Amino acid sequence: MRIGQSQRFDQARPFVALGLALVVWFVAPMAVKTFARASFFEMTAPIAVSASYAADLQRFWALRLHSKQELIEAGRDMARLDASYSVAVQQNGELQAEVERLRMLLRMPASDRFRFEHARVAQRDFSGWWQRMVIRKGADYGIPVGAPVVYSGGLVGRVTEVHATTSVVELISDPGLRIAAVVDGDTRPISYQGAQNRAFGTARGVVEFVPLDVYASKGVPRRLATSGLGGIYPAGLTIGQITHVEPSADGLFKTGEVSLDRRLAELTEVTVLVPANPG
Amino acid sequence: MRGAVAVFLTLYLLRALVAEANSALSGAHIWLFAGGLYVAYSALMLPFGQGLAASVLGGLLCDAAAPLAFGTHAALFATAHAVVFSVRERLQRDAALVRVTVALVVNLVFFLALSAARLRLVPAGAAAWPRMLSDLLWSQAAVALAAPWFFALQGRTLELARARPARID
Repeated sequence: MRIGQSQRFDQARPFVALGLALVVWFVAPMAVKTFARASFFEMTAPIAVSASYAADLQRFWALRLHSKQELIEAGRDMARLDASYSVAVQQNGELQAEVERLRMLLRMPASDRFRFEHARVAQRDFSGWWQRMVIRKGADYGIPVGAPVVYSGGLVGRVTEVHATTSVVELISDPGLRIAAVVDGDTRPISYQGAQNRAFGTARGVVEFVPLDVYASKGVPRRLATSGLGGIYPAGLTIGQITHVEPSADGLFKTGEVSLDRRLAELTEVTVLVPANPG
Repeated sequence: MRGAVAVFLTLYLLRALVAEANSALSGAHIWLFAGGLYVAYSALMLPFGQGLAASVLGGLLCDAAAPLAFGTHAALFATAHAVVFSVRERLQRDAALVRVTVALVVNLVFFLALSAARLRLVPAGAAAWPRMLSDLLWSQAAVALAAPWFFALQGRTLELARARPARID
């Protein structure tokens, strides 16, 4: 009889221990969990950062194998680009001065200004559940949580976690990310959300609350950009191309599909827009 | 607890390798999940306390890098550990095929559980299933291929740490 009870307890022991562990975890203070999360993340960060530096070194030695002829051609192309960008910078300076003058005349509040913090991508994590990347700059460069992240093609996403030397960026292809957007040439805000990310395909998003007079198709896509509403993303950053719209179930608006840039999945360097005057 | 620490070190290595593989495969939108490997060996071979500690610590490593409530992976891994531990005497756990099968089954259950928890965020959730299915198939293939090597690595690490796995009767 006693042996039978002992055997039953032995069988139940794993579940009793599991129950106790779960209870301890549920009643543990939030500070303990936050500290544990940060500690475990920092524990894995050196591996991600080291692998990223190793990849950079590999790329460096691969570039060293290029012939002098290729380097000369690349230098010539760079010089041409540099010349055209120099002109663009001058024009931009004049336009900025004009905007500033008009703002003073109209007594409008100053718009958000940002400090550009360029960062290398250390690791990408693109599952069907979430789409994130780790960049090699964090609290050591004053990166704040919520800062927008951009690249040459437009918006990448926003910073969701900041650690000692790394930050986590949530991409615009993440199903959990919503942005107030506008169609190019229109000022009415619509809602953008990351959606399906098909294997071997490009990432996609969806738009909702699209006005009924907005049309788009694969043949005639419409550029989708940030609206500047919400206070996180500056206006005018490209999100993607609307390739399809159809009336929503209620008939009051349209819903549609957004095709995102293929380069989003292969980024090696991004720029964090750090607000110059936070708060 | 030497055994738990030794197994945790192998899980740390696994986490780093899977993260690098996922980073490399991101251009193709393929993602590998290897949750089954975090639990199978420790649940089948280690004493309960040591195995549970290793599985929970491995789960916390996964939690730190995931946008889920902290402890989600750890709770799943601990539950799976308790279930596998309670049935392990009925399994021929010294056979590599059995260990790999356990890893695959546990991996499948974890994947479905996490998909169900995360699917509510995806607009038009049904449309997301092809990608989930694709990730699941790639993950199962990766686990099946990597499991024999990883279990051997865990066994050797335990030997090096002089923390032998539980005796098989």
